[in-house]
Amino acid sequence: MSSFDISRRSFVDKALTLGGLAAAAGSVPLLGRQALAAGETVKAYGTTTAQLRDWSIMENSIGIKVEFTPTNTDIGIFMRDIISNDLGATQDIFIFDGGTENLLGPQGYYAEIIEDQPELTLWERTPDAWKRADWLRFDGKQYGVPVIGNGDAFGYFPEVIDANPDGMDEIPWTTFFEDERVKGRVAIDRSWLQSLPETANFLKHHGRVAIEDPADLTPEEARPVVDFLIERKRAGHFRTIFTAFEEQIQLLSNREVDMINCWEPAVKEANEALGPGTVIYAFTVEGYYKWGHSANVSSQAMERGNLDNIYKLLNYFLGGEYRAYQAKQRGYAGPNMDLGVAYATEHGWPQEDIDLLKWTEEKVARKFEKPFWANTTPVNADVMESEWQRFLNA
Amino acid sequence: MATADLTRKETALDRLAARLSPADLAVPTFLVVWSAVVILPLLILVVFSFFQVRSYQIVYEPTFATWQSVVETGRWTVALRTLRVALTMTVIELLLAFPFALWLAKGLRSKTIKAIIITFLTIPFFLDVSSRILVWRSILGTNGIINTVLTSTGLVDEPISWLLYSEFAVHFGMLGANFPTMVFPIFIILALIDDDYIHASGDLGASPVQTLLHVIIPMALPGILAGIIFTFVPLMAAFVEPQLLGGGFVDLLGNSVDSALQQIRYPMAAALSTVVVVLLGLCLGAFMLLTRNRLDLATIFSALHR
Repeated sequence: MSSFDISRRSFVDKALTLGGLAAAAGSVPLLGRQALAAGETVKAYGTTTAQLRDWSIMENSIGIKVEFTPTNTDIGIFMRDIISNDLGATQDIFIFDGGTENLLGPQGYYAEIIEDQPELTLWERTPDAWKRADWLRFDGKQYGVPVIGNGDAFGYFPEVIDANPDGMDEIPWTTFFEDERVKGRVAIDRSWLQSLPETANFLKHHGRVAIEDPADLTPEEARPVVDFLIERKRAGHFRTIFTAFEEQIQLLSNREVDMINCWEPAVKEANEALGPGTVIYAFTVEGYYKWGHSANVSSQAMERGNLDNIYKLLNYFLGGEYRAYQAKQRGYAGPNMDLGVAYATEHGWPQEDIDLLKWTEEKVARKFEKPFWANTTPVNADVMESEWQRFLNA
Repeated sequence: MATADLTRKETALDRLAARLSPADLAVPTFLVVWSAVVILPLLILVVFSFFQVRSYQIVYEPTFATWQSVVETGRWTVALRTLRVALTMTVIELLLAFPFALWLAKGLRSKTIKAIIITFLTIPFFLDVSSRILVWRSILGTNGIINTVLTSTGLVDEPISWLLYSEFAVHFGMLGANFPTMVFPIFIILALIDDDYIHASGDLGASPVQTLLHVIIPMALPGILAGIIFTFVPLMAAFVEPQLLGGGFVDLLGNSVDSALQQIRYPMAAALSTVVVVLLGLCLGAFMLLTRNRLDLATIFSALHR
């Protein structure tokens, strides 16, 4: 019996049923499955950035409602909520950085995607590059539907490093880590899941450390990567080790730093304060922290009689409306970008917005040609977290 | 025979009842409740530090791996840094708070101004720590208010970078938040000291310094001790100031615990918390050892009855 089978809430639920109290259980709001099944609401729990800023747009389009509970990109909290807090008992869909299926799929928390489910009409036309990506599958089984994706790099002020202000040049990560022109004015993300693999990929690309997978470092690989970062830290290269998304915006808007390995929306927000094109989100030489958000169905949701609505939502994530709004609001791409462009054209969006959607598709396609893919649940997570502490404590 | 047995039992019960006065029950009750609420969780914490987490799930097999990692990754140095910062800040707060509390209790005569100042001192308790600290970033940054004034007036050629993201910034950020916890206990105890003692000391020829050293400070010791504890203990767990003003260069135990918790590394968080508890215990032991001839904790409040 897996740990999933004996989880706390499931145990209580089963005990109630066995005790002839099933009717009472059904009347408890938390376990009110009948009520949920009868309605048109899908309960989703996932990263903030997967949300539409206004879900009523979707409600008008496909006629279902979403109760979205946002979480940040903290993998620990997400895993705790799924495993220990048994969130599958109340939530239908989980949306998080791909990679969680490696653990939560085989353990029975995620259900396999039913590819021929009648409501999943856009699955067939979705390119394999998206739907068959490693971060949606494990052991030959499909656990997720792609939602959004991007390749993370760094933001920079072009004039500081004499770069082309149109932002089309590939800027090497060498500039980020070792360029004297930005020494003491570089901000690096405190999240080891982001910064450690990005550094490892840079060192791997230049043949300075032998690394198999930058996103999952063995003890032998992690040590020299952290040694390099410690050397850079002691050389005074970093201005700060930041924590939050809001901090990324503040550091750029205040011009406290010249370079920062931030999220792309932070550059968008900073440019709203500083003026268009002031900060550029880099195309890089060595590669990107490529990530994709995956929508996974809770295995408990399969028995709640709401499957059509759940799959309607999954299908919506593959459609043009969601694509168009995500690209416009956050600069994120995803599968079937052509549908996004078609949606914007049909709905009379300004040409500027339509061009932005086309550009988002080109941009992400260009990034995805480079290595490497992120992994939110590396096998060597403990080693990487511990090594990262050496960097923080140095 | 049966009557004799009954009489013996009654006598024994009477004796037991006589012994179990409320005063006799108080100590065992306190010890039992305190053990269940405080000591037991601490012991569980220590036990947890000898387990491991694999694939985000705790493996209940005893191991020293977590403690080994604490040493190898340099997490133990964070404990020393935390202790140093906490002790430094406690001393700074005491040096600033004592004269302020003395003035507030004995120097300031206006009740209205006194009430206003006390109200102002409570403001930090009403505001979220992060919000309070965040403001300092726009003041201390290289493009912040202070550096803008300094560079525009020509006092410095380049912005001073160590104003933010440094140990200075962390200490500075901690100053305001921990000042009231030091001031209040000292102020209360000083306010309770009868002015006649101070006047009598002067009348008997003592200088103001002698009165301070031999009359006021000894009588204020309970408040000083309470101020030290209320200030030092939270400082050992501080994580907002180092995170927001230290820029990742001043990692303290609170940050290290937070990082471990984010990865559901509960055994690591337990080990680090154990380190904090041990350090606090060592500090208290050292404090009692150093003051054993001058300060008896059991009779510390007797000074107020003089």
